[in-house]
Amino acid sequence: MSNLLRQHSMLLILIAFYILVAFTGRGFLTLDNQLNILRNVAVPGMIAFGMALVIIVGEIDLSVGSMVAVSACITAWMVDWLSGGAMEASVWVVGAAMLSAISFAAAVGWFNGMLRQKIGVPTFISTLAMMATLAGVANLITGGAPIESFPSWYYVIGSGRLFHVPVPVYLLLLAFVLTWVLTNHTALGREIYAVGGNIEAARLSGINVWRVKTICLMITCVFAAIGGIVYSSLINSGNSTIARGLELEVISAVIIGGVSLFGGKGSIWGAFVGVLFLGVLLNAMTLWGFNPYAQQVVKGALILGAVLVNFVIDRK
Amino acid sequence: MSGFDLELRGLTKHYGSVRALEEFSHRFAAGQVHALIGKNGSGKSTFVKMMSGAVEPTSGEIAVNGAALRFRTPQEALREGIVTVYQELSLVPGLSVAENIFLGRLPRRHGLIDWPQLFDRASTLLADMGAGDIDARMPVDRLSLGRQQLVEIVKASSLDPRILLLDEPSSALAATEVESLFALVRRLRDRGVTVIYISHRLAELPQIADTVTALRDGVFAGSVPMAEATPQVILDMMFGDMPPLDRPNRAPSTGAPVLSARNLVMAPWLADVSFDLAPGEVLGIAGMLGSGRTELLLGLFGARRFDAGRVALLGRDVSDDDLPARKAAGMAYTSEDRKHAGLVLDHSVHANLSLASLRQMARRGFTSIRRERPHVARQIGGLQIKVADPMLPVASLSGGNQQKIVVGNWLNTAPRVLLLDEPGRGVDVQAKRQIYRIIWDEVARGVSSIVVSTELEDLAECCDRVIVLRAGRITAEFTGAALEPKALYAATMTPLPEAEPVTEKA
Repeated sequence: MSNLLRQHSMLLILIAFYILVAFTGRGFLTLDNQLNILRNVAVPGMIAFGMALVIIVGEIDLSVGSMVAVSACITAWMVDWLSGGAMEASVWVVGAAMLSAISFAAAVGWFNGMLRQKIGVPTFISTLAMMATLAGVANLITGGAPIESFPSWYYVIGSGRLFHVPVPVYLLLLAFVLTWVLTNHTALGREIYAVGGNIEAARLSGINVWRVKTICLMITCVFAAIGGIVYSSLINSGNSTIARGLELEVISAVIIGGVSLFGGKGSIWGAFVGVLFLGVLLNAMTLWGFNPYAQQVVKGALILGAVLVNFVIDRK
Repeated sequence: MSGFDLELRGLTKHYGSVRALEEFSHRFAAGQVHALIGKNGSGKSTFVKMMSGAVEPTSGEIAVNGAALRFRTPQEALREGIVTVYQELSLVPGLSVAENIFLGRLPRRHGLIDWPQLFDRASTLLADMGAGDIDARMPVDRLSLGRQQLVEIVKASSLDPRILLLDEPSSALAATEVESLFALVRRLRDRGVTVIYISHRLAELPQIADTVTALRDGVFAGSVPMAEATPQVILDMMFGDMPPLDRPNRAPSTGAPVLSARNLVMAPWLADVSFDLAPGEVLGIAGMLGSGRTELLLGLFGARRFDAGRVALLGRDVSDDDLPARKAAGMAYTSEDRKHAGLVLDHSVHANLSLASLRQMARRGFTSIRRERPHVARQIGGLQIKVADPMLPVASLSGGNQQKIVVGNWLNTAPRVLLLDEPGRGVDVQAKRQIYRIIWDEVARGVSSIVVSTELEDLAECCDRVIVLRAGRITAEFTGAALEPKALYAATMTPLPEAEPVTEKA
């Protein structure tokens, strides 16, 4: 009941805020701006769905921003390496490069899960270490200079449009549908909630709790890798400096969406509402002409506010 | 004789309509060790809580040397010289022995902790109490459980007690450790401290107690000098006249065992445990706190490892199978601690009733609430779980209904063997009866059960056969007419012929 109320209260706040911005932000309601909002939240949103799983299962991943950067760099570097830097890379080369970035991400997620299971390293620590490590790996790959190896059609992934809707928005919706089905209609999804809600009860019910946790960590890393590919397409190069601090946006969207930091509670739908709220807020601040530094402050304050609300609700 | 005598004048505690303790009047003579005994629910813990200031009496008085005391908080009780040592240790693991003893009153100098003085005073105190071989600088968690218990009592003695209450201090200790505990208690007694010694272990009472006082169902049931306290006298005080048992009459089970355990070892609890579970049998395992009964069940279920021994289920050796494999082979387990290990409290009744059977009810990994609904409804109906809507969180239900959900969760997996750890804990009498009825119904359907409990009357009522687990071994077995509570108590608490402590592995 409180769960239901929480989800809908955030939706009501989103609608109220949306109406406020509609009246005060010039050009907010135009179709292009609306699609722009969605495109801007596509990558953090997609990752937020994975992050929601991770937080529901009782863990955290602080390394998604670095993962985005490293995956963009791996993709660009692989394209460069596989095509020998000579001709325009083929679809197969690009596909193989993307696959290698995604496999790398899955391996990192699996590694974090193993550290948690075998040694008991909290993911707060292992992914904090991973955040620094992966950022370093990205810099090592590029040597500090963007890798411009992509074929001419590569921009389509990040900047292309289908029926006037940006391609990343389709990816966002696809990620939403996948994770929504996962949490609502699969045994694995129900196990995610059970493990996050009471790990000992889940274990004694015969659930392989570490497998469940590891899968969630891997899903998030893979979504971050796909996000990295989208960004590399947007800027048409592999650049190690992108997505700095993206984890903050992602985690705050999830918390705003009502996912409990104590695990076991929350929904993908809630995370989606949180993502949209974040998108509208960022867009509104731009339309209102907020100073970019002030925008940073608002973002930070927002996380604090969301966490406070989260704690108050969970302590009840 | 100098010292402090403790007089209780009509001490009474009601929790709502529950009479936990009723008109307890008794005089505990000064400078003696008084054993206080009683089965679970007799009012012992309520008495301890009132003495320690944790709860206030509904009516009645506590008087020391004739003067009535009034205290409302543990701090006030301490100020009156009434010190309680609980069975769960209250030491801070990372801190040194000295810091633990003087916690909250560390000696200071210029506002900083005076470490030399702290260790000096602690060492003197330890030596003074005959525990000089304990290093005051040692972190307490590096000491054995028995040593920690001694530190706890030294800490209590440093508070200058007039009355010292020890709540089951020996329950987790090995024989040699019990000896040093007794030495410490005698030393305190000889200094004039009046000791109230609460214990389940009747065997050790002659060594330490001067008198034995019993509570039964919240009422004073008698008090005798230790010299007159034969086991028969003690059991009569504890139980009075027992009503006849309401146990279904079933034919003794025969056939190849469903589950057989051979030479199970798990240090420090189990030394050598073997038994068989017959088809359609309810087997009880009686064991006191610290006997390893919970560990035995967890081991059978694959949630803990045995150091040695074999387990066979339906004729197949499952010793090397993990928990999910044993579950798939037909085992089910319900924890004694349903809040922490049985239920996801914030989740719905529906979710909790389908927790163990999710994969069984799913098709290719996809679940459907609609497909699960009949299974959930069957448990709610069959177990008579009182819930308005299965989508309500289990936290909103009573203890009895929560316990039924723990059982129902596993019945949905269609198990062959049910391992039940304290299924009657924290539920009212009526719910307890219902849970036993559920066990019998399942047994009638061919499910065999093992029930583990400290509540021996419950075991006697619910089981076809009860084996007694003591000092790591099966020491007695009861069936048929011989299976009655007093016999069980005698078997779990009177001295063992050859008490062989289980050696702890380094």
